[in-house]
Amino acid sequence: MLEQFSHFFSTLFALATSPTNLLVVFGASFVGIIFGSMPGLTATLGIALLTSLTYGFGPDVALLALLGLYVGAIYGGSYPAILINIPGTPAAAATALDGYPLTQKGQAGRALGLTTTASFIGTLIGLLFLVTLSPFIASMALQFTSWEFFLLALFGIVISGTLTSPGTVLKGWIAGLIGLFLATIGRDSLQYFPRYTAGFSELDAGLEIVPVLIGAFGIPQVIRVLSERRSLAEAPKLGRILPELSAITRNIKHIFRSSTIGVGVGSVPGIGEDIAGWVSYSTAKNASTPEQQKEFGKGSEAAIVSSETANNACIGGALIPLLTLGIPGSPPAAMLLGALLLHGITPGPSIEVDHPNFLLEVTAIMVLASFAMWANGMLLAKQVVKLLTIPAPLFIPVVGILCILGGYALGLSIFNLYILIPVGIAAYFLGEMDFPIAPMVIGLVLGGMADESLRRALMLSEGSFLPMFERPVAVILLVIIGCFIVNQIPAVRTRTTSFWAGLFSRLARKSPVV
Amino acid sequence: MKKIILPALIMASVIATLAHAARPYPVRPITNTVVWSAGGGTDAVNRMIMAEMAKVLDTRINVVNKTGGIAGSIGMNSVLSKRPDGYNLVGISSSNVVAAVNGGWNERFDVWSPFIVGSSPDVISVNTDSPITSLQDLVAHQAQSQQAYKAGAGGTGGIHHLYLLELARVSGVDFQFVPYPGSAPSQTAAITGEVDVVITSMAEQAQLIRGGKLRPLAMLHPEPFELEGVGTIPSAFGLYPELAEHLPLSQAIGFAVHQNAPDDVKTKLGKAFEAAMQSPVVKQWARDNYYQLSGKHGEAARDEFAALESYFTWTLQGLGSNKFSPDKFGIPKP
Repeated sequence: MLEQFSHFFSTLFALATSPTNLLVVFGASFVGIIFGSMPGLTATLGIALLTSLTYGFGPDVALLALLGLYVGAIYGGSYPAILINIPGTPAAAATALDGYPLTQKGQAGRALGLTTTASFIGTLIGLLFLVTLSPFIASMALQFTSWEFFLLALFGIVISGTLTSPGTVLKGWIAGLIGLFLATIGRDSLQYFPRYTAGFSELDAGLEIVPVLIGAFGIPQVIRVLSERRSLAEAPKLGRILPELSAITRNIKHIFRSSTIGVGVGSVPGIGEDIAGWVSYSTAKNASTPEQQKEFGKGSEAAIVSSETANNACIGGALIPLLTLGIPGSPPAAMLLGALLLHGITPGPSIEVDHPNFLLEVTAIMVLASFAMWANGMLLAKQVVKLLTIPAPLFIPVVGILCILGGYALGLSIFNLYILIPVGIAAYFLGEMDFPIAPMVIGLVLGGMADESLRRALMLSEGSFLPMFERPVAVILLVIIGCFIVNQIPAVRTRTTSFWAGLFSRLARKSPVV
Repeated sequence: MKKIILPALIMASVIATLAHAARPYPVRPITNTVVWSAGGGTDAVNRMIMAEMAKVLDTRINVVNKTGGIAGSIGMNSVLSKRPDGYNLVGISSSNVVAAVNGGWNERFDVWSPFIVGSSPDVISVNTDSPITSLQDLVAHQAQSQQAYKAGAGGTGGIHHLYLLELARVSGVDFQFVPYPGSAPSQTAAITGEVDVVITSMAEQAQLIRGGKLRPLAMLHPEPFELEGVGTIPSAFGLYPELAEHLPLSQAIGFAVHQNAPDDVKTKLGKAFEAAMQSPVVKQWARDNYYQLSGKHGEAARDEFAALESYFTWTLQGLGSNKFSPDKFGIPKP
């Protein structure tokens, strides 16, 4: 153990003392933040492009660049989410719910400072899990068969109703169902049967998430700001960016809970940062007192801290099955696997034999990457907030063009725009009718997984639902889903709420400090 | 003002084009569009071989991924619609040959002139907790239990699925095929015990076998395989010589250029390809990643893809999973 520690610090020291390495990691992190903040440019795409560029470098430098970009891109998505209510990456979609209201109150700088620090802490906690618990977490990830994948997807869909204000719960469910319907478009992956493709071969692979995301969040915002001639935000106070220590300590329980959720979601193969943000947001809301819950959706500190901590902690989680089993835990991690293979490193159970201490080296690189992200973030946050001082009639058309370009840039396909624009217009009208958009996107992201996993599970069990109740992880998921659903029923909700309120007031009376 | 600018621009572009024409291919960067997703085998092979060829051709080669459609049809369609001047390559593998019969596009595969880098042999494995230790065991065990094995492999009609069908045909073992989105998830399913057996390539499975997560039963390849730290994995061809009728099927991972590209472009690419295949980097990479290098291009590679197209499409026709009959495209029976 001691030997490992000394190896870790000597690696970290060796990396951090080379100016070239520092330049690479800061540069990559900066590019990552830009990638993350531009709608349509995702972490996955960034890593794909950088893989070719770093081919000629040694594996150390290449990994510095790739991981620097990965961490930066997951964090960068929060910029447009907070500033203009358009998430730059799917991972930041949950951040927009409360980040943008803060901007509208003129607190953009504070929000960015807080999310930067939360992302930083989240990444580091994720790493701690990676180093200390990776064999255990990897074995947990192997508990996930088709049943668990189905239930996990179902859980994600069930939280749809909790992502809205209490008055529009039903509309949240409806939006979620629209998302589920959109997820059925394309050839089904088990029998190859075309569903709602209308003969377009471009639809065979289903709707691409990113154009739908840009359409659903970006276009309505552009239309709304321009048509209502309203400004994007209160004139931002260019105050302190670095959050006070008290803001961190106040949210420390959210940071720890969200990190654990992030690592857990990240380590399950196939789902990643986007889902981590949503699950963490919803859990934070459920764990809060009724007064705090009212803040959610109106600019809650706890909300943005939760979603941003979780999506960055997810990176460490996603690396666990990648490095120990060779199974990437998230889409960007899949790209990272390709890059590692290119450099002759095959991650998997025997990596410690082929490349001793590789896990520690990756961790050292990640620590450096998160420092680079934090430093870049602190420098950038102050500058990007100034964007809000540009008059909306000048700024928003540029955002509109960037949205369209981003949709096209993904796969350089004009067909993406045929998806983006109708989805955008539909989302605008849904929004006008008070339907929340987030559940629709979640439905689309998870619908395919729920559909395919359930049908594969039934195929394997020859039509029986019984195996679902025989697997421990599946039963735990079932119980959690049950609790969430029951908690949506108004009668139960008021009762639990009053229970908690009673408990809190009794506790308050007992402790003289409060 | 406008009247002057436009003719001047035209002149300039004509001169530029002429200057380009005077210099030999390649005068500008080449784009290679890989039709399978980033991080997969075809992607990795293409990125490596392109980096080596770029050195020989003395130009930059950008590798991009354009996935989706049917059997990579979106990426193939997009490259095919570009000018056949050799500046657009497409990264492909054998699984692309079923695009036409499934309605992805309306072309025979001979619109491409392929360059085959290589392939990795297929291996059938079970979970290490399984009582089955050999192919003989697998057959004997079923004779007792009378239950079909759940067999995982990536995508219906993919190369590993066809290997499974061949093994079922010659051995008489009853497999229930369970499709997964790719090789990696099917391997995970074998580790978690969701399926009983899995067929993927050695490149994809070696780490899991060496790490003690999967137990190899046999190579679906004529030769046995020596895996460091594990020992010799026998060939299924020893037990079932009939496998040789259709197997081995090459994964034929590589890239292609438009068949109508000028001859000098194809020659130039061919020379660069041959040089890259001889480079120590590629040889070392192939050894480390359990690939067998091929190096076929031109006529030989076209023949190989024609054979793959014929075998894949007609086998799928037999399964009834094609949208159109291979007859529609004039694909001969194997």
